[in-house]
Amino acid sequence: MAVTTDVATPAEPAGTEQWVGLEELADTPAFQEMLHREFPEDATAWADPVSRRQFIALAGASVALAGAGCWSPRPASPEKIYPYVRQPEQMTLGLPLFFATGFTVGGVCSGVLAKSREGRPIKLEGNPSHPSSAGAIDAITQASLLNLYDPDRSRLNLKTGIPTGFDNALAEIRTALLKLRGQPGKEIRLLTDTIGSPALGGLILEEFQKAFPTAKWVQYEPAHRDNAREGGRLVYGEHVNTSYDFTKALRVLSLDADFLTCMPGSVRYSRDFNQNRNTHLKEGDKVPTAAQLNRLYVVESMLTPTGAVADHRLPMRSADVEAFARAVARGLGVAAAGDTPAPAGAAEWIAPIVKDLQAFRGRSVVVAGDHQPPAVHALAHAMNAALGNIGTTVFNFSPAEVRPGNQTTEFKELVKDMNAGSVAVLIMIGVNPVFTSPADINFEAALDRVALKIHMGSHVDETATLCDYHLNEAHYLETWGDGRGHDGTASLCQPLIAPLFNGHSPLELIAGIIPDRPTEAPTNPREIVKAFWRKNWPANGGSTNNFDAQWQRALQEGVIPNSARPRFEKQPDPAGIPAYTAPAAGLEVNFRVDPTVYDGRYANNGWLQELPKPITKLTWDNAIIVSPNTANAKGLNVKTQSTGGGEHGRQVADVAELTVGDKKVRAAVWIQPGHADDSITFHFGYGRQKCGRVGQNTGFNSYAVRSSDAPWNKVGVQLTGTGDTYILASTQAHFRMEGRRPVRRGTRDEYEQNLAKHKEDPSVALFAKAPSVAAPEWQEIDETVPGSPNEWKGEKPKEHKHSHDKPGEEKKEDHGHHDDRLIPLSIVPATNKEGRRWAMAIDLTACHGCNACVTACMAENNIPVVGKKEVTRGREMHWIRVDRYYEGKDPNDAANLITHFQPVPCQQCEKAPCEVVCPVAATVHSFDGLNDMVYNRCVGTRYCSNNCPYKVRRFNFLTFADFKTDTYKLMRNPEVTVRERGVMEKCTYCVQRIRAAEIEAERQGRPIRDGEVVTSCQAACPAGAIVFGDLGDPKSRVNVWKQQPTNYGLLAELNTMPRTTYLAAVRNPNPDMPKSKGA
Amino acid sequence: MAQIFHRSMNSLARITVFGLPLLFAGSVLGGTIIYRSGYITGEREVVDQPVPFSHKHHVGELGIDCRYCHTSVETSGFAGIPPTKTCMNCHQQMWAGSEMLGVVRESYKLNQSIPWERVHNLPRYAYFNHSIHIAKGVGCKSCHGEVDKMSLTYQDNSLLMEWCLKCHRDPEAHLRPKEEVFSMKWKPEDMTNPETGNPYTQRELGKVLKAKYGVRDPLTLTSCSICHR
Repeated sequence: MAVTTDVATPAEPAGTEQWVGLEELADTPAFQEMLHREFPEDATAWADPVSRRQFIALAGASVALAGAGCWSPRPASPEKIYPYVRQPEQMTLGLPLFFATGFTVGGVCSGVLAKSREGRPIKLEGNPSHPSSAGAIDAITQASLLNLYDPDRSRLNLKTGIPTGFDNALAEIRTALLKLRGQPGKEIRLLTDTIGSPALGGLILEEFQKAFPTAKWVQYEPAHRDNAREGGRLVYGEHVNTSYDFTKALRVLSLDADFLTCMPGSVRYSRDFNQNRNTHLKEGDKVPTAAQLNRLYVVESMLTPTGAVADHRLPMRSADVEAFARAVARGLGVAAAGDTPAPAGAAEWIAPIVKDLQAFRGRSVVVAGDHQPPAVHALAHAMNAALGNIGTTVFNFSPAEVRPGNQTTEFKELVKDMNAGSVAVLIMIGVNPVFTSPADINFEAALDRVALKIHMGSHVDETATLCDYHLNEAHYLETWGDGRGHDGTASLCQPLIAPLFNGHSPLELIAGIIPDRPTEAPTNPREIVKAFWRKNWPANGGSTNNFDAQWQRALQEGVIPNSARPRFEKQPDPAGIPAYTAPAAGLEVNFRVDPTVYDGRYANNGWLQELPKPITKLTWDNAIIVSPNTANAKGLNVKTQSTGGGEHGRQVADVAELTVGDKKVRAAVWIQPGHADDSITFHFGYGRQKCGRVGQNTGFNSYAVRSSDAPWNKVGVQLTGTGDTYILASTQAHFRMEGRRPVRRGTRDEYEQNLAKHKEDPSVALFAKAPSVAAPEWQEIDETVPGSPNEWKGEKPKEHKHSHDKPGEEKKEDHGHHDDRLIPLSIVPATNKEGRRWAMAIDLTACHGCNACVTACMAENNIPVVGKKEVTRGREMHWIRVDRYYEGKDPNDAANLITHFQPVPCQQCEKAPCEVVCPVAATVHSFDGLNDMVYNRCVGTRYCSNNCPYKVRRFNFLTFADFKTDTYKLMRNPEVTVRERGVMEKCTYCVQRIRAAEIEAERQGRPIRDGEVVTSCQAACPAGAIVFGDLGDPKSRVNVWKQQPTNYGLLAELNTMPRTTYLAAVRNPNPDMPKSKGA
Repeated sequence: MAQIFHRSMNSLARITVFGLPLLFAGSVLGGTIIYRSGYITGEREVVDQPVPFSHKHHVGELGIDCRYCHTSVETSGFAGIPPTKTCMNCHQQMWAGSEMLGVVRESYKLNQSIPWERVHNLPRYAYFNHSIHIAKGVGCKSCHGEVDKMSLTYQDNSLLMEWCLKCHRDPEAHLRPKEEVFSMKWKPEDMTNPETGNPYTQRELGKVLKAKYGVRDPLTLTSCSICHR
């Protein structure tokens, strides 16, 4: 018998437990009390007299309605069937069709496959053929589906508020434009967001500009990329776009760039980046070496998903990043970087980073954030050149946008002209400048001086109400278009449905207002796009020369072959790097694009509003985000509040006044561990006044203090408390794990070292575990996890090994006080170990918390939005949540804070605690190991949720699903029940997809292939962190993952035998660094 | 002490003691009978349709295959209700002026669907898939009855969960060779059991076909998520 030791857990420093929020770390008695309430979620409704009265009124009303609705005692209500008159050819009723199309935001188009059931788009998936998607999809793209069915969308074309016809409006506008011909001082201006569509760009440049030679086309959107553009120009002398190949990059330095979630191409980057981060054993049993794995250094102010997964993260003011970049560049031999010293506290970081990057010449990447000043972008180009990365991991090419330019300058000029009264007609397409224009530009006043104001948009928004004409814009799933991906690859966008509200494409608007167009010129968007591409099809774009065949093929694939923009290998000229001007000391503010509502254009999207933001876990609001130190210095506080019911989501935040120059805004404060000191992050997109019922009056308008001179960063601002408080809804305190160290994590070196010992004696743990029980017990716990290498398959408990059992000695009968509860004592019958056993593995090394899985789950499973008030009561309905944990002794020590993400869907326990307590057997096991949830049996006792250790069950406290709005009915997945009030629900591993694949396979009389069933979260995940499959198939990918020594079951010590398991987060820190994160 | 209750109360008490449970049992029994009756389930109840379409005429007399109209029955969960175009394929030539077909012609002309009343309404939460039943050798007749004899279409079975489960627990009783799935005339006795030389009984044949078509075991077929999602 092998000698074992009692010490299973590697020595761990005190105080590094995982925590989700500051109040948990502080651990006050009040907090403890709140935590331990058994069912805290439903108390306020009864404590609050108004809502109690409302509740009774509602209950009465629903009884009356129930009486009215139940005139028939029949189990099924009679339905009508409306068949087609002439059925479309490819359609089989009851089966989905997928169409390749593209979603454009910020001028960058990413390919999607839209799933259509009976002509209604119901779900979006990534397009594997599209370079910007690679089969994955981000949260905003996924949620764009809801925009199509937004009941607040514009339904009419308006002329000064009165409905008018689209063609009438075009004719009137055309006449008005004609009258202006030859009248100097009465100019025409076109204002759009960044246009990436070649066909629309072609129409504007080739036809509109020719018809009106003095007209000017201005592009402006708040999330512009002027700095990146200017930075490229400084060193290349011309406009460039840059893309990165992270499959080849092993050392990455990010200068305030959140390239995994918030950059053109980030979905693709996230997929590529994780290819080299995979710590699966290589060549059978070897831990990948430090040189085989990539290593990420991040310098940033706000904690971002990219920073959270970094191997080394250095928080610093965004304004100081330039000094840091110059110091690194100097180390890399870029003389033009000057002799700027590294910012305080960062000096000892420079040399190890430089050394590491230089060891990976041609296999590294330096990437600068879009909001960093042009100098940093120029430095990044120069550094990549010095490292020989250009052409291997970094590619420069001519811009994918139709007309690249400095948007801020253009916009300022436009407003100047408008103020001067020289603009007679302003046509705005897809923009909302009244809301988004910088605070120093009074766009509203300027707009007043324009004689004819035309707005095209999907909503009657802040700008539309001030215009003479509002034209109803079609959603991208309703009309034809095209676009270019982050690397310039062109794709065609086709509609899936006729415009629901009679919207039109911008192509129709532009084509319709050009006077004297030849009659043969196409006016329909499909023909315009087709005509453009007939002329501009890439020379080698397809195997045949027949345009129609090529067009058909490109429509099917979603991508036009060989249409990426030409790359150029030109090296940057470091002479263009400007001299350094040191930023002032003091408090800075950073304006950033919101991770959910973007620049505000998605403010009316309930899925995005309720999506917890990746780091802060805030929903329905933005906030002034500061570090704990800064908050202390300013006397600001955020408290988790309970009104006696112990709600989890209620955060009472102090309201502060932010003064930038002469502009002021009041907003709630959010204290963010890991944020740089003396720095504020303030996201765009909130404080909308006219956007619809969902987004109206949510959050705080950061445009009110953003100036055009300092659009991203401003040093020297004031933050003062006001004494007021505001309630924020954050899900960070929900469903907590009470210090059980849910995330196992370690470093690569630690993994390699312990693995050798682990092989000799399996009871030696690889990483720190909790609770810290004796080693043999952990061995046993790990063996209960389905699919793990040493999975316990027999019926009788294994022989226990104990430290007091001397080697060679007979095992004693009496073990004294020994906890034998794990295997033998279970009232739950053993699960079927034969046949199909569905299981999931989630790689915590890869997950960066982007939330794509959460939105994908909402779309697939008809998950309702509950609203801010209900979120503050802990009643959000997401079936999968992404937990975010911090680790570190001192929350004020931002540099040593470690962040982890852990997506938690239902764990599909083999011995499910929920099942044994259900009095009506509404949750039972299926033959293939799913923990089925039967909605029609559920009577709403909530015992199951009470008994679930993972807290993954969700209860419909109210009728959260919207049964009234017609458009939402079109959107729902017909394969999934829409749940009503009083019903428990949870993740089922997308059982509808499993059963569909099963039926397909059974019909063909073959087994289900590995990879045939893809859950919605897995399909969406940009990082490829989720794998799903059959444990019964020894070659399935999920089995391969679960055989990894890093595999573990969350709370497996409860003997739940979870089918969902996690691979420990393994990072690859640099031993030479001063503060090795994760070490 | 004077008697509180009159003697006649004895019989009343007896009636109450024995009668009440009987009444209760009776109402439970009555309730279940009513619940299972055609009044509630709609079994064998003819539904008024905008066009009095006769399966008896089209299937029984003319011998049109089910799949001529219900095209997606082998590939999809939904068997498919024919588009007006399918009706007009024939009725452009035959009975072109018939008054009965006015609704069909109108639909074709105005490009508006015929609003058929659904005959088989499944309860919510239940997801039925035609294609897998066809693939495993469950005949149309097993659920839909003798459609070839229905002048007007009705629901032949209760569609209660217990009715579904009866077959999911014991599929042998209803399996037939795949090539006979659409037949209304097929009987197991028409086939000979090669082992015994006698005509097949349904149970014998069912057993053979269950193995041949890989019909899964009752434990699998009665898992909740097989039908409810």
